[in-house]
Amino acid sequence: MKHLRPLNVKARRIDELVSSLGADDVVALQQPQPQRPHVPMGCTLSFSPGWEVDAGGGTAGLCQPVERDIYDCYVTCFWPVQVPDHVNNSPDWANKCAAATKDWRNLDIVFP
Amino acid sequence: MGLFRSSIAALALGAVCYGAQAGTLIFGAYPNTLTWFDEAKGAVTDRVPLVEGVPRSLQLSADKSKIFVTTGDHSGIEIIDVATHKALSHFALDTPKAAEALAFANRRNHVATHYRFNGEVVDPTGRYMYATLIQMDKGLDRYTVSKPQYAVIDLEQKKIVRTRDVDEEEANATGAAYRTALALSDDGKYLYMFRDKVVVLNTADLKVVDRIDMAKSEASDLEAATFGPELESISQPGEYVSLFNETDPYIHNRVLGIGRFKLDSRQFSFTPIGPAPTTMQGLQVAPDGKTAYTVVTNGLYGNKRCELWRFDLPTNTVQDKAEFPCRTRFSFGISANGQKLYIWGASFDMEVYDAKTLKHERTWDLNADVTYGNMIVLR
Repeated sequence: MKHLRPLNVKARRIDELVSSLGADDVVALQQPQPQRPHVPMGCTLSFSPGWEVDAGGGTAGLCQPVERDIYDCYVTCFWPVQVPDHVNNSPDWANKCAAATKDWRNLDIVFP
Repeated sequence: MGLFRSSIAALALGAVCYGAQAGTLIFGAYPNTLTWFDEAKGAVTDRVPLVEGVPRSLQLSADKSKIFVTTGDHSGIEIIDVATHKALSHFALDTPKAAEALAFANRRNHVATHYRFNGEVVDPTGRYMYATLIQMDKGLDRYTVSKPQYAVIDLEQKKIVRTRDVDEEEANATGAAYRTALALSDDGKYLYMFRDKVVVLNTADLKVVDRIDMAKSEASDLEAATFGPELESISQPGEYVSLFNETDPYIHNRVLGIGRFKLDSRQFSFTPIGPAPTTMQGLQVAPDGKTAYTVVTNGLYGNKRCELWRFDLPTNTVQDKAEFPCRTRFSFGISANGQKLYIWGASFDMEVYDAKTLKHERTWDLNADVTYGNMIVLR
């Protein structure tokens, strides 16, 4: 981060937070969490697990098929890029589709 | 394993003994139903339509005669009669879509109000629901998001009757500490919020009267402590029993156990079970009070491995473990008679495992996604 300088308040706060964390404490018998890969933010807003790749950057942790978990992407607006937005614009998108894995043909068509 | 030897026999004392008959499972299901499932028949017996939309949480009343359903569409609340499966009452707290459209068309400064709730709990009289919420006011040119608030919802007047801002200490805590489990004392006078500490509020004015920091308690000897979901099957009236992770202050070793918090005396006790795994999916205690089950998950993503564990409570031992093909995410439950273990969500089906052998028995097709509303087991 030495080659970057914060230019606004938010950036300064991030810089202060990172500086305040300091080095890891040295402890015994700890159960370290494996370091997660850095997946670039871009076409998706979140990776936990993601739509195209999971939070580990692979595909093994995805719901299979993806329709198994479609309502959590839709109802909570977790992936508003990939599925319609339940809260504001498309509240009836899946109203005729109780189990999207089986009856995905009943999903409504959304026109932008 | 040594830790198990000194651990969980006390849990058996708190368990309630039920008959060995199968019961009824009630799920909140997509898109807007309460699904009644008969365990003995292995079939859906009723789908009760909900006026207020997608069910988000279910709560059984103290006398087991009503189910309080919160829905996600418009911050709705629906009360269902257990005996007749009929809706006794329902309402939404968000501004209706038609009124919102009208306000927008008329260029009013305030167009609509929406809410997001957490930790809903109904008082012993069944009239008031306590929750934490965030209020979002939609204006012509902006959204105004409130600070997190404690709220009291009058289920008869069908509106929010009181709110109070969550204190800075909880509002700014890591991981939004106010979005957590709430519990009420038996007399309804105190509201408890559980996370890394227990926050005690007076329900009359929603002011904090006490904060009990587990990590700073001299008796606890804990460095960090976190409450998990409530273990309803072994909870007694006036007690909040929860899975509990603690870290000692010296070598920071994470230990898993059972925390018991007495709601009236505010006394806390911790019974260690063993080293905390990466993830543990709840603890289910069979109706006989002697056997408990959990799902232990280790590894991540493609390397994730899930195991069903069976504990014998009187002898404090792990009796058996069996790996099963785990889903990316799922919920874990137990049948009314304690003979079956359930894995369900995020999907439309439920995997059934035999509690004795930990082997897969069958898959029940619920024919509706049950990711959201949690499950109620009626015995």
